[in-house]
This record gives sequence, structure tokens and C-alpha cells, in this order.
Amino acid sequence: MELSNVILQVNDIFKEVLDNDNILVKYETTAKDVEEWDSLTHIQLVVGIEKHFKIRFTSSEILGFKNVGEMCEGILKKQKNG
Amino acid sequence: MVKGDLFSHEFFVSEKIYLGFIELFNDKNPLHTEDSFAKEKGFEGHVMHGNILGGFLSYFIGECLPKKNVIIQTQEIKYRKPVYLNDKLTFKAEVTEVFDSVNVIEFKFSFEKNNDKIAKGKIQIGII
Repeated sequence: MELSNVILQVNDIFKEVLDNDNILVKYETTAKDVEEWDSLTHIQLVVGIEKHFKIRFTSSEILGFKNVGEMCEGILKKQKNG
Repeated sequence: MVKGDLFSHEFFVSEKIYLGFIELFNDKNPLHTEDSFAKEKGFEGHVMHGNILGGFLSYFIGECLPKKNVIIQTQEIKYRKPVYLNDKLTFKAEVTEVFDSVNVIEFKFSFEKNNDKIAKGKIQIGII
């Protein structure tokens, strides 16, 4: 799977979890760019992403992601490593 | 808690709980308060409020788990059959997912009466 495809799928999760069909996340998007992305919705976003991609992150991995793109790269890495 | 952990608890739908629910939330809909109305609609008698089960669920999360540092984040209950006054219910729950990255645990649960499933659902909690 390509990074752009992962970002598209993650975007759908953002739309669903944040209940906003107008959201368009990009590689460089951070919580500061999305009004509904707060500490509580962050939990549901991570849960939604881990469920969708059938992966598990550690808390330090989550804290280490600087933006959506880095998280999507983390998803690809997890999937490659099984 | 880990995936597959099982829990169970017995609940009794007492008059105190039923009247307390009405006192607190003022839902006196005839389905819940009038036998004749409920029987007209095909029930055995006045039906307990569905959200009494929500209260039992709250008790389970707050008091029956090995950890007290918990908070309910989402829950869903599907009602299959009515609950009546003085029913004895067996609650069963199983840990279905653990998300260590954000300290989240998900359960599936059911309420049974005489081995008959009357409600089921899912609940997500956070470890705070």
C-alpha cells in the first residue's frame, strides 16, 4: 500500500470520528489544524486507526508522531513488519 | 486486563431501583408504569426502563473491575427482550480489544435472564 492511500483511508477515519465530512488531512496536518481534534477525540482517532489497519502502536510511538504523515508512515511500517 | 478476560455479575431489578429511576428521571411513560397499557401492547406487565441496564453497566465498570481508575468513553446497548420488576439478571462481559497506546479497553457484554439474552452491547473505557 502506498503512503497516499494510507492518508486517504486515515482521512475517512477522521471524517467519521470527528463527524465532519469536510476534513481533508494532509501529510503535514497536526491537531492544531483540525478544530475537532482534541485530547478526547485523539483517543477515538487512534482507536479507529488501530482497528482499521489491524495494528497496535505503543504510547511512545503515538507521542513521537509529529503530524498525520509520520503516523501514516508508522502504519505502513507496522504493516510491513506484520 | 487482557483480551479474553471474562467477568460476570448478578443484578436484581428491585422496586427500589425502579422507583428510584422514576424519581430521578421522571420518566412515567405508561409502558413503564401501567400494567394495562403494557399488556395492550403485548407485554406481560409494565416494562422496566431500558436505561436501568445502563445503570447496572455503570456499576460494573465503576465497581467490579480490578482497576478503579476507569472512565466510560462510549457504550452501545441493544435491547432484545423486556425486563420486568423483580427480574434477576446475569451480566457477562469479555475484554475484546486492548489499545495500550491510548489506555483503552473494549468489552462486549450481555444481560441474560434464565439463560435468555435480553440485551447485549459494547462498551469502551479509558484507564485514567
